[in-house]
Amino acid sequence: MNVIPSPLRRVVITGLGFVTPIGNDRTTVLANLRAGRHGLAPVEFLGNPDLPVKVAGTVKDFSVDSTSWRDWTWPADYAIPRETLRGLAPHGVYAICAMLQALRDAGLPAEAIAGNDMTGLFCASAGSAKMGYHNLVQLHAVRGERGNPMGVVSAISGTLNFNLAAHFHITGAVCGFVSACASASHALGYACDEIQLGRLNRVIVVGAEEINAETLLPFVAMRALSGESDPRLASRPFDTGRDGFVGGGGAAVLVLEDADTAAMRGARIQAEVAGWGQAADGYSVAMSHPEGAGLRLAMQRALASAGVKPDAVDYVNAHGTSTPVGDRAEALALRSVFGDVGAHPRISSTKGLTGHPLSLAGAMEAAFCVLALTEGFMPGNPHLVTPDPACEGLDLPRTTVDLAPQIALNNSSGFGGSNVCHVLRSFRRG
Amino acid sequence: MLPPPASDSAAQLQRFPLEVRDAFRCFCSSGDVAALNLVVLAVVRDYMPRPAERELTDEMRLIEDLGFDSLAVAETVFFLEDLLQVRIENKELMQVRTLGDLRNFVAGKVEKKRSAIA
Repeated sequence: MNVIPSPLRRVVITGLGFVTPIGNDRTTVLANLRAGRHGLAPVEFLGNPDLPVKVAGTVKDFSVDSTSWRDWTWPADYAIPRETLRGLAPHGVYAICAMLQALRDAGLPAEAIAGNDMTGLFCASAGSAKMGYHNLVQLHAVRGERGNPMGVVSAISGTLNFNLAAHFHITGAVCGFVSACASASHALGYACDEIQLGRLNRVIVVGAEEINAETLLPFVAMRALSGESDPRLASRPFDTGRDGFVGGGGAAVLVLEDADTAAMRGARIQAEVAGWGQAADGYSVAMSHPEGAGLRLAMQRALASAGVKPDAVDYVNAHGTSTPVGDRAEALALRSVFGDVGAHPRISSTKGLTGHPLSLAGAMEAAFCVLALTEGFMPGNPHLVTPDPACEGLDLPRTTVDLAPQIALNNSSGFGGSNVCHVLRSFRRG
Repeated sequence: MLPPPASDSAAQLQRFPLEVRDAFRCFCSSGDVAALNLVVLAVVRDYMPRPAERELTDEMRLIEDLGFDSLAVAETVFFLEDLLQVRIENKELMQVRTLGDLRNFVAGKVEKKRSAIA
């Protein structure tokens, strides 16, 4: 490995929490990732079977379809008090459960983070269009004379930060990130900076999204979703036959800590965030730059920040949403960063298995990279049959590679040409 | 079991125990304030941010003793407004500190409405 000593503090990951289409705990997620088993299921929205959205990466064992928290159900392992429930959006339930799981995984009791001025919380979600719509319809119906007092905190795009910060009594810092499908990746990147700079010792990074008509159908209007009903055909990143993305939901949480803080409390260090980078396309409100210029620069900056050369990278978890334009742009960016210098990391998009969980993607896929690093494997592209010619020279394994990666990259891109890349590394002291 | 009242308001009490729904029905048909008190108590209990099984007494303060915050007070008031078809202004609400204040205030509101209709 090419590690350049840095005066900055090292940032490690000590806890993961999963509520995802492929499982709601580490063991299940790991088994499904390794086996290449997808978590897509048939869906129908607004009672209209004719809509061109047939499958989604659904979350199992939760029922949060209602706009009333009183109707919601979630796994009995997690206690969520009424005081918290009343202000949550549906995806907030996923997030609380994933965060409780991550704290448990990190060996952190709730009291260790409550009121701890060196622990922060960075969140990513698009808010809840469903709750917003419901509340505003009610408001209009009574000509503005009556509204839901929880209408703002349960709907706008800071809903995760508001609610989780209050529930877990976070006092170090709390912040939300809104860069569409790069949001959680930004949250993780800036969390890394805060720890490296010594402003915080620990940041809990949370991404969450819900799956419902209000979240997904606007993407139908953009012609961004796949209309396929067979999950293996619907989400097939980098395949010539791809025709759009499949929506996904859930929550993922990563506990980031300063390496010394983690070591002092005897935490199990799972991986290191070696660096990150970002860059913008400056091109279109929604489309990727045709050659992936912003993503290429984001990857190069991430590698430089980690002091890692392209040929040291073993695995790339691509953004790869299965859209015709986006996957091609990313393929060209990857060829430019790796192919041009003769490097050939394994590349896969786990969105083939999960669908595309929008703001949550960066956190979920960073957590998948940590599983790959700790468990010694690299996920494949099980739905890929005929790679797009734009992928020429890229190593896109169809099945899981049973080799232990040491360095993994995690790519994310969002509307407006926002691109983020993380460099994750197996942790070694010294 | 008696059929539920025909009014839309009764549907809002669907999640409440039968005795609360019966009390509301009784209040609707007879104007019995004791029955109304039982309904108000149940609504307060339903919106308490931190539910407790302890007995609720009139002298308990909504915020200091029962753990209400301004949002939970607003939720409670909006629910009672819809249920009882009365309007409660913010200024009036500022005078309500205890559970007893709330019960008396709601009873007064309802009485005023009945007088106006009569």
